[in-house]
Amino acid sequence: MSEPDAKNKCTEVRDQLAMHLYGELSFDEEEIVETHLDTCAECRGALDRQRELHAAFDRVEVEPPPSLLRECRAALGAQLASSPASTVNEPSRDIQVNSWWDKLVRLVTGFGPSGTWLRPAGALTLFAIGFAAARFTPVMSTGSNGVGIMGLADMSAAHVRDVEPGSDGSVRIVVDETRQKVISGGLEDQQIRAMLLAAARDSTDPGVRAATVELLTAEAAAGDVRDVLIDRLRHDQNAGVRLKAMEGLKQFAKDTAVRKAFAQVLLSDGNPGVRTQAIDLLTQGAGPAVDQDLVGPFQELMMKEDNPYVRERCQSVLASWNASSEIY
Amino acid sequence: VEKPSIEVLQRSVVALNPGAELDESALIRAAQNGDEDAFARLVRAYDQSVLRLAMNLLRSPEDARDVYQEAFLRVYRNLHNFRFDCSFHTWLYRIVTNLCLDQLRKRKVRKEESSVVGTPEGPLDRMDTVQQEGVEGNPQRRLFSGELRSRIKEVLEQLTPRERMVFELRHYDGLRLRNIGEVLGTTEEAAKNCLFRATQKMRAALGDFV
Repeated sequence: MSEPDAKNKCTEVRDQLAMHLYGELSFDEEEIVETHLDTCAECRGALDRQRELHAAFDRVEVEPPPSLLRECRAALGAQLASSPASTVNEPSRDIQVNSWWDKLVRLVTGFGPSGTWLRPAGALTLFAIGFAAARFTPVMSTGSNGVGIMGLADMSAAHVRDVEPGSDGSVRIVVDETRQKVISGGLEDQQIRAMLLAAARDSTDPGVRAATVELLTAEAAAGDVRDVLIDRLRHDQNAGVRLKAMEGLKQFAKDTAVRKAFAQVLLSDGNPGVRTQAIDLLTQGAGPAVDQDLVGPFQELMMKEDNPYVRERCQSVLASWNASSEIY
Repeated sequence: VEKPSIEVLQRSVVALNPGAELDESALIRAAQNGDEDAFARLVRAYDQSVLRLAMNLLRSPEDARDVYQEAFLRVYRNLHNFRFDCSFHTWLYRIVTNLCLDQLRKRKVRKEESSVVGTPEGPLDRMDTVQQEGVEGNPQRRLFSGELRSRIKEVLEQLTPRERMVFELRHYDGLRLRNIGEVLGTTEEAAKNCLFRATQKMRAALGDFV
């Protein structure tokens, strides 16, 4: 075979290597590739590199977190409860809705019967499910007396948590409501505060988390609020929420825990806007004095930062400290 | 090591438990007749793989959650139309892949609208700048862990929605091209051409890393 022919054959075979690894070549194509690989060391090398590439593809596969699956299942249960059925004609839609909600959530979440699945999760889970349900259920009339004025339709969307016989022959029913309900009060109200702290962490809606974090900013002097803001800055999947948490923590930039969180996001946050804000907040009001604790993290950032703007900002801070941009 | 395809896994399950295939048909029929437990079991049998596919394609928990909800709601509303002329898996994946393709196409439109910026030298596509930075970057920096991963993510974003879908179904879900063609309503040959283009683009963009 002439040299150009051999080169063409190599190109032709290399184009097919990915399909070869997937086992998707026809018999004839496979035959051509394998025959050539037997005689061409360079193409065997190319096959090894293609294998490495496939292994690298495997490493970017995302496994959804179990919490996301649980949220999806709970929200689906709520959505089906408010969705018209296609399969059967039930005489009483209210009864069917109640049954759907209970059975589906129980089956898909794998928790036990009779409300036991709600107990260990406590108020936070109940709140999260409330949010999910609120997204999909139509707004129902609410009243300050709660269950006492609920109609049959309202009752069907609720979950009986406990039943106790009273001594006078009456029955006491504890109901976990999954319908929309409006609660209002100031940030100093312990119930409001507890719900906001839970919503900032657990709401499935990033818009709700962002609004909650923004509200909590006014109370960032309190330790429990600041802990939640730090947690959101470190762990929230939404960059907008992380930026709002950062804004809330701005006034406490000298606090050790807050500073540590800023340094962490500086090195690990995937969003360049958040990293830039971390640079600003870590260096705000510092003047020309060198902050020895920060030189290391800034140098480390220079080593791995891809974004040209963030690199430039980082470099300029290091220059103002007369520190090198590299680690030797 | 190549992952076994869904079909191989399904065959293995049936081999271990001969009643498994029968059970699924029975479950579907029961769900069609209004058996709520049967429907919930069907959801549970497939929802993890649906969420994983949506999450890998869309790389956003919010969007993956929306696809999950909408897909199973459509299954619920249309299950009475399922006539067993394909597997339930194929039918479900048709719904899921259509929803994901819609999302990917919307994103492409948004990206195309927003990536072109005006400059004194004329319009400039920010996506081109990103590509150039990748090629001209300091080779030493490629050694940092995560560099290849982030580059792969970028390249996946640059594939067309159909190429992305076929690659995702073949590489991560392990579906054979014949089955992918069935899911996407096209021929095995068209799916093969699509996978070929996707792998060629990725080899061209990532060949220097391996």
